[in-house]
Amino acid sequence: MKYFTFIIETALKDLYRNKMRTFLTSLGILIGVASVVLLLSFGLGLKAYIKGQFDSLGTNLVYVIPGQVFGSSGGFQGMRSAVQFDERDLVSLRKLRDAVFIIPVFSKSIKVEGNGKTDYSTLYSTTDEIFPARNLEVEYGRLFDKPEVDRRTRVIVIGPKVVEKMYDNPILALNKSIRIEGQTFKIIGILKAKGGGGFGGPDFDKFVYMPMKTGYALNTDKKIATFLIKAPDTKPFAQFKAEVKTQMLKRYKEDEVTIADSAEFITTISQIFGVLNMVLVAIGAVSLIVGGIGIMNIMYVSVTERIREIGIRRALGATEKDILYQFLTESVLLSLLGGLMGLSISFGVVAIIQKFFPAYVDFTSSLIAIGTSSFIGIFFGVFPARKAAALSPIDAIRYE
Amino acid sequence: MQEIIRIDHVWKEYMMGDVLFQALKDITTTISEGEFTAIVGPSGSGKSTLMHIIGLLDKPSRGNVYIQGKDISKIPDDKLSMLRNEFVGFVFQQFNLINKLTILENILLPTIYTRKQLSYNPEEKARYLIQRFGLAGKEESYPNKISGGQQQRVAIARSLIMEPKLILADEPTGNLDSKSGTEILKLLKELNKEERITIVIVTHDKNVADMTRRTIQIQDGEILKK
Repeated sequence: MKYFTFIIETALKDLYRNKMRTFLTSLGILIGVASVVLLLSFGLGLKAYIKGQFDSLGTNLVYVIPGQVFGSSGGFQGMRSAVQFDERDLVSLRKLRDAVFIIPVFSKSIKVEGNGKTDYSTLYSTTDEIFPARNLEVEYGRLFDKPEVDRRTRVIVIGPKVVEKMYDNPILALNKSIRIEGQTFKIIGILKAKGGGGFGGPDFDKFVYMPMKTGYALNTDKKIATFLIKAPDTKPFAQFKAEVKTQMLKRYKEDEVTIADSAEFITTISQIFGVLNMVLVAIGAVSLIVGGIGIMNIMYVSVTERIREIGIRRALGATEKDILYQFLTESVLLSLLGGLMGLSISFGVVAIIQKFFPAYVDFTSSLIAIGTSSFIGIFFGVFPARKAAALSPIDAIRYE
Repeated sequence: MQEIIRIDHVWKEYMMGDVLFQALKDITTTISEGEFTAIVGPSGSGKSTLMHIIGLLDKPSRGNVYIQGKDISKIPDDKLSMLRNEFVGFVFQQFNLINKLTILENILLPTIYTRKQLSYNPEEKARYLIQRFGLAGKEESYPNKISGGQQQRVAIARSLIMEPKLILADEPTGNLDSKSGTEILKLLKELNKEERITIVIVTHDKNVADMTRRTIQIQDGEILKK
């Protein structure tokens, strides 16, 4: 015990004596560890963000999508689909009496003109059930209701960001007419801002909602892109999902339709980001190797500077192992110091970023940071340390 | 008197480029417990090589070295290090203290590397030696802050901390003024007389050799006179 205290104390003193050198050498590891830990934390944050987005749509949801969405070996498949859903499928699905809701959705990018200004937005033609399903509420005016959906009333409910561009005050847009793709609709409600958007996610505040049949004016094929179905609490989710599938397979073949739930989307998206993240982490790891080479370099210098000291220690009874441990301890501490500084910086950066994005440093990344930096210290320190240990005592002690 | 070191037909050869250099040629000698001996010879005579072999810092090319009757020519390096640690104390011409360690730490250094259970408290002993060698108050000083004579006394204290059987002094006065040199020799003589520590001094200085009881003269790698 006393021996190890001595070895660590000696190494720490030597590192402290060369403060500047110690700092600059561990900088490589600091940067490497910080970049790896930050990338891992962003990956975790992204996963949490995506999960949050799906969770905000509610749980127990079944998505019915044309074509094969998920590839057989993971990831998404190109959505090449021959089939297109229509009202017949809606009628068919409505036979699932216990579904909490069945929402057909058609969406399309659109050009919006109002108050002499133009903007681009996403059209959502659907039923009134979308509002409770997505927790959408109006800031001004009202939402459209079921009779309006059935009667093809030319009304729309609009996201706050769309009208912001056209009117100084969103309230002024209420009950005004707006032109979408050359056709006129009346704004009956302006939604409360929901946030979102960025990081590749949809910005719900830029959507334009329209009753489904009204939307046929802009969707002449009367297509339905997806169905959003909420399962009842009264039966197991898997069973309900199977029933949805059975219903759809009456008309389509197995590979023409995908029945998915949010867990499947989250898993697939996580897989994709997982791979992306690994690539980024690997790039970050390159700087760790560069940092390790820096340590090796400085340890060689350190050995050369202390040849005489090594000789003296050997003459006084230090074994080759004693010398090896002394230098190895120094390189490990040097690397670990960089690792700890890198980890602290990551915690700091993440603390700032958390205000905008749910990134976080988990226990595993911290462990990886500490483990990797120790390993680098050993791996790159062992060559110089062995050189030191292999010095012949007499040659070392006579070294000028 | 009991023999503590026996050098038996020892040769030491080096390759210098493509020429074989014979530093020691068939050396046979014995050093007994309690001796105060000088190994004398001009530079290049092989006396330092002999000292390295006696001090277990180097191994002979041929021949055997016996420490208290035990052949050490074949023992592995870590055993040799331990033997060096416990059996020999070194005093060098260049003092060879570690400048970044304090006087106290320098004296204690051999005790860090020992595998032996010490029967005394090393720090108490170090402080006693500091006191005894007139270095009181210098415990926390660094070697480059004290005089050469003081540094050599620190080195002697360090050589004594493990209570070795043998002290090997390689030109111990070579870097000192004559007054300090005399003091150091007096100190070594005292240790030999009062504590019965075997002392071997390697020197080229006749005056130093004259102070010892026995002289081994070496020239061109061979012993001239016993």
